[in-house]
Amino acid sequence: MSSLRFDQVCFSYGNAPCVVQFSCNLAKGELVGLIGANGSGKSTLLRLGAGLLTPTMGQVELDSKPVRLWKGEERATRLGYLPQSIEAPLPFRVGELVEMGRAAARKDHLLSCREVLAAVGLEGHEQTPLSQISGGERRRAFIAMILAQGGKTLLLDEPLAGLDLRYQYELLTLLRSLCQAHNLTILLSLHDLILARNLDRLLVIRQGQLLADGLPTEILTQRLVQQTFDLEPGFQVANVL
Amino acid sequence: MLGCLGVVLLLSLSLGQQTINLLDPDPLQLKIVLDLRLPRIVVALLMGGSLGVAGAILQGVFRNPLADPYVLGTSSGAALAAAFGLLATQGTEIWLVPLLALTGALVTSAVVVSLGRDAWGVRAERLLLAGVGIGFFLSAILMLVMSLAQADGVKRALLWMAGDLAGADWSVVPMAGLLMVVGFVLALARRRGLNALALGDEVAFGLGLEPGRERTLLVLAASLLTAASVALGGIVGFVGLMVPHAVRALVGADARRVLPLSAIGGGMLLCLADTVGRSVLPPVEIPAGVVTALIGAPWFLIMLRRATGGGLR
Repeated sequence: MSSLRFDQVCFSYGNAPCVVQFSCNLAKGELVGLIGANGSGKSTLLRLGAGLLTPTMGQVELDSKPVRLWKGEERATRLGYLPQSIEAPLPFRVGELVEMGRAAARKDHLLSCREVLAAVGLEGHEQTPLSQISGGERRRAFIAMILAQGGKTLLLDEPLAGLDLRYQYELLTLLRSLCQAHNLTILLSLHDLILARNLDRLLVIRQGQLLADGLPTEILTQRLVQQTFDLEPGFQVANVL
Repeated sequence: MLGCLGVVLLLSLSLGQQTINLLDPDPLQLKIVLDLRLPRIVVALLMGGSLGVAGAILQGVFRNPLADPYVLGTSSGAALAAAFGLLATQGTEIWLVPLLALTGALVTSAVVVSLGRDAWGVRAERLLLAGVGIGFFLSAILMLVMSLAQADGVKRALLWMAGDLAGADWSVVPMAGLLMVVGFVLALARRRGLNALALGDEVAFGLGLEPGRERTLLVLAASLLTAASVALGGIVGFVGLMVPHAVRALVGADARRVLPLSAIGGGMLLCLADTVGRSVLPPVEIPAGVVTALIGAPWFLIMLRRATGGGLR
């Protein structure tokens, strides 16, 4: 039973094709990574998955229904989406973010406010302003917000960007445990090929097309990495794997 | 906070060119309190409250801590439209003023927002620059209209537009109060949208909202409130800028708390500013707008310094 399905999805900004004939099925409980060079269409794919963009051809289905047909609260209770840039120009507090997530879904809350904060390791921080915590904690506070929505499918655009190695590992461990504990489907884009090895499954894209789809240990080869990032043939991929 | 408000109200009733013992007024003093000071206080409360809420809305919607009706030029647009109305009717149709102010505020908001956006959406800096530019332009036209106005009554009415509450009476209170209530209720009803837009359109969409629709409704609410404030007492700057920040520092940024407390705080600040203005240098009355600007401008600079990281970069 798939939770998110891309079926022959094409998308272009104006005349420039950005996603070409992209198909894949994300199953429940899967922690999936999206790998590709800058401008390869990762963010666009996640936006298509979230329903922010409509495919020019093909279809994105969330829980067996086109994602664009889920409206407002219905969509918010099924799907959480976190863009790459998370800026809060006003002094929101951690607890207020979680409340926003809970307010998006008025019924059937998966987790209480306290449980959500405990899940991301921010217990006791309800009253802390976002400006007074580290970048890693801020990222986790936003993840707490979309967890509070109670959706079973999460799309995260480069959630590890800007975090140091320890926070990257912590956040990935957290996502893994959430996947297992609540049978969530998580699709995240990332750049770190070493961290990518810890995921259940990788989707590798180049210029909007799916290059490879499978277990990280099986598909991350010297040839694939060279091809994905247009590297010189002499580049020693072993150093980044 | 309500206690503070009570103290401000009592101070404002008793202080002025003449200090009045509220417990034992003579008939003349009673007349001063009821006919002059009471309407003035009500006008200051409604006007300051409208400005506080409008500022809280605009700062969230445009994700810019320096936004308010004055900085974004909507106050000037509202005042200009109202001034033309006063001129055209020779100051006879006072009830029209709030509606004209609303038209002016809406048109100015639309122009400033369209100038402040590019292909990717509304840009914080661009919006601010557009607002300041449009605001200066409209203010200049307003001054031109004022200096050209001949009839004495119209001239007085137009001077009142510049943020002096000395002539406040009950005439525009019903209509302006109505605009304020509608604007406030609309903003409170869209509080989820206001919170979410402050985090950006994509986050708002992820929370199940339609960013464009929420923004339109909230800008409409801010325009209603701006129009109410301008119709009540002309252009007063900085109340909409300062009050929401002070409130957020106390209770966090959730609109559910920020909107009502900004209304109370804004009313209180303007009432206090007006009381100070008419008490410190009798018989001279300093317009409330001047007092708020004297406090507000330094505050603005401190905010600017904080917004850029507190040092030279």
